Amino acid sequence: MSVTVSAEPAPAEPAGPPPSPAEAPGESLASRALATTLRWVVALGGALVVFGAFVMANGANPLQVYSDIWSSTLARGTSLQQILILATPIVLTALAVVVPARGGMVNVGGEGQLIIGAVAAAGVGLMLDQRVNGTVVLILMLVAGTVAGALWAGVAAAMRLTVRVNEAVTTLLLNYVALFVMQYLIIGPWRDPGQNGRIASRELETGALLPVLGSSKVHIGIAIAVIATVAVWVLLRFTTWGFRLSVVGGNAEAARRAGFNVRKLLLGALLLGGAFAGLAGVIHLTGKEYQLVSTFGANIGYLGFLASWLARHRPIPVLVASFALAAIAIAGDSLQLRSGLPAPTVNILLGLVLIAVLGWTTKKGAKP
Amino acid sequence: MYAGLGETISERAGVINLGTEGSMLVGALGGYVATSATGSPRLGVLGGAALGALLASVHAVLVVLRGANQFASGLALVFLAFGLTALYGAPYVSGTINFFQTWAIPGLSSIPLVGPVLFDHDPLTYLGYLAAPLLWWVLFRTRAGLIVRTAGERADALEVHGYSVVKVRCAAVAVGGALAGVGGAQISLALTQGTWYENVTAGRGFIAVALVIFAMWNPILVLAGSYLFGVALSLGSALQTQGIAVNQAILGALPFVLTLAILAILGKRTLLAAPDELLRVLDNSKTT
Repeated sequence: MSVTVSAEPAPAEPAGPPPSPAEAPGESLASRALATTLRWVVALGGALVVFGAFVMANGANPLQVYSDIWSSTLARGTSLQQILILATPIVLTALAVVVPARGGMVNVGGEGQLIIGAVAAAGVGLMLDQRVNGTVVLILMLVAGTVAGALWAGVAAAMRLTVRVNEAVTTLLLNYVALFVMQYLIIGPWRDPGQNGRIASRELETGALLPVLGSSKVHIGIAIAVIATVAVWVLLRFTTWGFRLSVVGGNAEAARRAGFNVRKLLLGALLLGGAFAGLAGVIHLTGKEYQLVSTFGANIGYLGFLASWLARHRPIPVLVASFALAAIAIAGDSLQLRSGLPAPTVNILLGLVLIAVLGWTTKKGAKP
Repeated sequence: MYAGLGETISERAGVINLGTEGSMLVGALGGYVATSATGSPRLGVLGGAALGALLASVHAVLVVLRGANQFASGLALVFLAFGLTALYGAPYVSGTINFFQTWAIPGLSSIPLVGPVLFDHDPLTYLGYLAAPLLWWVLFRTRAGLIVRTAGERADALEVHGYSVVKVRCAAVAVGGALAGVGGAQISLALTQGTWYENVTAGRGFIAVALVIFAMWNPILVLAGSYLFGVALSLGSALQTQGIAVNQAILGALPFVLTLAILAILGKRTLLAAPDELLRVLDNSKTT
């Protein structure tokens, strides 16, 4: 039993991080909706203005930068494809945040779960792709990556449920461990000497890669991501499990008194989240990178975290948020080429957007 | 070590700050830039502290005043710091500056085994030896410390006595950020011997957050814990100089695995020592 329960049962609850205050039914009143929209516009606009100021202070014209971002992303077909390819794993890692968040948990480990998923898939792929039919290998890789992602999140879940270490801290540390596991493999056992000194694993055989859509470079991962999003939406909204999970997220004590198995619900939510991130890793590997490289992942998990927060942990808006973030990230590369600003500069914009969303779209009066 | 001490103050007041990593990062750059402008690493430390505090203040505003989620806010600051330091640090990559030389304390440093580990460091490390007990004294033996701890244990009781929990927490977070900034400055001014590169802190700020948990929010134990890491890290390079080839990824993972392992062993026990208001955040759904 927790030590604090007897001290102050009532005020303790609303203080926890509520997953999504805007989700209450009856929010659809026109004036409320307008006010909410206005808040979002002000918040996001504010982030853009502040970022513009930073850009200007560094000798670049902010209007030029924004128009570059616009023309280099949405106005060009090839960039649009790149955005869709990048948005796919972001959607999935965002779902990895959405599901646990419904139960009141913070999964910061999408990055690590994605990497471990890719590592497990690469392990299967490197072992089998030259001997077994490609489609079979691909399916095995998808399974292996998904399971690995779930297990990686399971480490954090186990520590949460047994020794009660907060999952935000453990998932964050596990990100680094996953990164080093992958680096160990590509420096050591899986290193491909035929890479001209580049540290990377061997490229997977073509048969084991995700099929692409038509003549484009976009692979079917985007379809998987959309299906997964709809599935999560249905799961959270229409199933008993989803309902129980959100009761736990709202008030765990009440959930326990109602006879729910809180521990099992939380464990399931975190494992499912990890599975989505692991799947994201396989898709990124088989659809985009084709091999493990030292920069594999490249903050996709963190972008997913951000997307989930932008979407207020609601599955369908996650699609929009992920697309927007992928566009910003792709724009980061063109920013470097055209304005001479370092590519990570877009992280400023990402940070500002998240700060704006956290600071100006939360309901007032909620105490930390 | 400084980041851990800073995070202790913040968490004692009931606010967890994952942005510690960000504060360290801007502190590292701030220290570097200030030193390169003035030529004095001492002013560099001040610069690092100022920037670290500034970034942490954003966290204070978001979390304490606006009620934002502490973990999300902290991570937002890491994003922001990473972008800012990449942008403003770009001209400084591959430069070198005046840095803190190590001072071997005569006599003490020649004690076998213990000597080089404890008494052959940069001056900031020695200051840290003093800062930890000082912080312990402030937290547990002074009125200001009592106020900070009350903000973390029973915030309502503090309000009853006419103090503003909001102000206390904001101040604690800002001071914590300043210390994290000093920790960052120590990295760029001493550990890397006066070089700067992108993401120079490499997750040390996150380790600091975990360190505070298993040090049970006690500054002295934070000091001891940081030492454990120092030893673990130097073990790796010691092995390599002995000619034992170790995959560098294993060395990189070591501090994180060690942190997780210690948390797994001590986790539950440490929660008993946690400030109550913080417990609500850490243990947000009160399972078990």
